[in-house]
Amino acid sequence: MFGQQNLSTRRILLAWLLVTPVVLWRLLTSVYPFLRTFYISFFDNSPVRRTFDFVGLDNYMALTRDTNVDATLTFTLFFTVTSVALQVVLGLAIAELLNQRFKMRNFTRAVNLLPWAMAPIVIATAARWIFHQDYGLINDIIWRLSGERPLWLVNFTTARFAVTITDVWKNTAFLAVIFLSGLQGIPLELYEAAKIDGADGARSYWYITLPLLMPLIISMIIFTAIFRVLTFEIVYALTNGGPGTATSLLSYLVYLEGFRVLNFGYASAIAMLLFFIVLIVGVLGYGFLRRAWERL
Amino acid sequence: MNIQLISKRRFQTTLFYLAVILFLIVVLLPIYYIFLTAFAPSGKLFTVPLTYVPRSLATARFQDIFGALPIARYMLNSTLLATFSTILALTVSLLAAYAIARLNFPGANMVMIGLLASSMLPGTATVIPLFQMFQTLKLMDTLHGLLILYGSALLPITTWVLVSFLRQVPVEIEDAAKVDGASFFQLLWRIVLPVIRPGVATMFLINFIIGWNEFFTPLIFARGAGVKVITMALSEAQVIGARSEFDVSWGNMSAAAILTTIPVFIITLIFQRQIVEGITSGVFK
Repeated sequence: MFGQQNLSTRRILLAWLLVTPVVLWRLLTSVYPFLRTFYISFFDNSPVRRTFDFVGLDNYMALTRDTNVDATLTFTLFFTVTSVALQVVLGLAIAELLNQRFKMRNFTRAVNLLPWAMAPIVIATAARWIFHQDYGLINDIIWRLSGERPLWLVNFTTARFAVTITDVWKNTAFLAVIFLSGLQGIPLELYEAAKIDGADGARSYWYITLPLLMPLIISMIIFTAIFRVLTFEIVYALTNGGPGTATSLLSYLVYLEGFRVLNFGYASAIAMLLFFIVLIVGVLGYGFLRRAWERL
Repeated sequence: MNIQLISKRRFQTTLFYLAVILFLIVVLLPIYYIFLTAFAPSGKLFTVPLTYVPRSLATARFQDIFGALPIARYMLNSTLLATFSTILALTVSLLAAYAIARLNFPGANMVMIGLLASSMLPGTATVIPLFQMFQTLKLMDTLHGLLILYGSALLPITTWVLVSFLRQVPVEIEDAAKVDGASFFQLLWRIVLPVIRPGVATMFLINFIIGWNEFFTPLIFARGAGVKVITMALSEAQVIGARSEFDVSWGNMSAAAILTTIPVFIITLIFQRQIVEGITSGVFK
């Protein structure tokens, strides 16, 4: 009774009906608010002063003069590069560890997941105690080894490393799980063939494992870098962006400017800067990824 | 095999186990330290050097924070939000995933890419207009308002993972059911859902953990005591009975940290395998 045309129209209608809730939900809670942020960034908008005045590019001009923004961008770069590098190297090492056959392997794999499962805010708040100068766990160990008690959260450099270490502790597990799964996907025959050709473990890792994992490693670098730029909790609870602005990140700056100072217009301009950085990381990363795939 | 080779292998094995032990210490020691802090009897908290094996444990801090804060209410709110945002997100994502994986409609790819792109929009780049919307719509400090935001965050990945699970399942069973005249929802409920149940269960676990751990959203949108969640208890616990801004109770903070963490640890340890499968299926497929 139904023509072919009619059936496929019904199918398409049903399909759109089925995707509508997800699409609408995301449009209303993510896409529209994002566009609105872009719009507000051209206004002087403050609920305290009850203003909503068009100011053109003023907020963006203010960004270029704001020393807090400078400091934040500096730390964002330091934090992203250091943390991603450490996470990728350690993640690969842990994946290799968890891929071996040994007693307690299941237990070790379960332990690896624990930092992943913990709330970022719990880790960030607890880290303040762990980095405590006199009674913290880290300084107890350092003191036993060297007799020193570094002031982690007071000095610029050490505070930056404290944030980075905390982030690496929490998030390396995720990369290790992904890399482990990548390792398990490499056919064993390749290694056997390499062994016959006289390659030792290090060589076959360098010439077989790494090249085959490379697209995965690059996509994980992009993914991890984007999420480093977006980090909020660690800075919020561990350092409050301090000392001074040494460990300030853009999300934290948006929070301060938007919800402490209640300067919505300027906070929106910072948020757009954040989005722009994420976009650049994503586009650059995608370029690298395509080249890696072509080389494979 | 000569002796040199055997001793070389033994050396490598020793080195390997040393690495495993180092890894276990680095992950477990900080967790153990928070546990120690939470249960240390008062007066035993600040010792130099640290005592790693305590003589006695005390539960006074847990009594303190349960007495001073509505912890049970916070945990209930966290449970409600994590559970219902997960159920809602899974339901609508399953509908969308079915359409994308099975109905082969123009725009399916666009929806997939649009979802991925929207998940790259930083939460901080949407929070100010959402805050204004929530004030206008009287959604501030409400559980259903929070539910909208919690659920929204889960949609892109959940849809992606469910699409990947559906694509691994053969279509033939569904075709047979269609011939038998099953209605669309019968098909979805009786045929599709049972087949991809492992995938749905996995996403349930991961989404529950994400919802339970949420902090930024309630920080902005849940300011009344009635809607606060357990992740907000840490900063409140550390100032119970504080005499100044710098008077921080690390013991109370640690007790709150343990209460926040125990549920996700239990889930993770029981369902380790499923969670790993869920994490990796979001990346690979």
